Amino acid sequence: MKDLLRNTTSLSEGIEQILNLQAKIESDASNKYLAMAAWLDRNGYANTAEYLYKQAEEEREHFLKVFKYITDMGGIAITPAVAEVQQEFASFREVFEIALQNEIAVTKAVNKVIAKCRAENDYATEDFMMWYVAEQREEEKNARRALEFFELINENEAAGKFALDVQIAKIGE
Amino acid sequence: MSLNYWCNSFNLYKFAPLLLITMKQISDLTSNVLFETEKGYTYQCDTTDSIVVNFVDTVSSYKVQDFLIFQRKVNSVDIMNMLYDLSDQSDAQLIETTKKNFSRNLTICEIVQLRELLNGTKFTLSLNSMLCDVLIANLA
Repeated sequence: MKDLLRNTTSLSEGIEQILNLQAKIESDASNKYLAMAAWLDRNGYANTAEYLYKQAEEEREHFLKVFKYITDMGGIAITPAVAEVQQEFASFREVFEIALQNEIAVTKAVNKVIAKCRAENDYATEDFMMWYVAEQREEEKNARRALEFFELINENEAAGKFALDVQIAKIGE
Repeated sequence: MSLNYWCNSFNLYKFAPLLLITMKQISDLTSNVLFETEKGYTYQCDTTDSIVVNFVDTVSSYKVQDFLIFQRKVNSVDIMNMLYDLSDQSDAQLIETTKKNFSRNLTICEIVQLRELLNGTKFTLSLNSMLCDVLIANLA
């Protein structure tokens, strides 16, 4: 009797599930950045708004990359439902504090996927996920750098907020 | 009279390869039964690489991915909610599969029975996959 399951997909059910969860996390991250960008935009922080719009696009690319990988490997990719995201923020600084927390959460999720790949001897998916490890290292570094600017530039001084808006937008250039 | 006599009389030797092929297919079909319950059975068709589900006189055929989507869909039906909901519309639920292979209004009992059949089938598919894995590993 043919092994139809293995002939159809190289992903185990557990790996497929965790990859779908990762796709949802990336998709949610994109929406969170979008909401942050909109808040910054309507509060006059045009440069950082643009920076976070780009981040939102980047997260969507990350989501699509996992999504396509699932289908490429013969798995069933599930389009994630759009979850509610935080729309309002207490301050300019809080936006970037939440952004860093989100990036840390994504890094932890990536690590979980890799741990699962190792447990199930799925080296192809582990190799695929290593790209995300490098990417998350960069994302966390950028999110921390944004918060560092709040230590270097006093946002309550004259033109402080303006300077922060300009400097944060330059991160990663 | 011997078998040889009959074969020569009716020129059966000419049809022997055909008979053998048919018998092999029948044998494959019976040996590829994946799961069976009182209400139906499933089998794997190696010629079309598909899974055939026969449930309460409805026969439908699926590619593996479609079968898995079907199984997950049936598993996701909230049976408890249907039990506690006293309205008439909760007595049955429309179960439709991808590409409309299967489209039926099923009662709570039928959903439970279909769930048993599909989960049993999935178990056999997984078991077969594991066995193939072990056999291939031992051959290598």
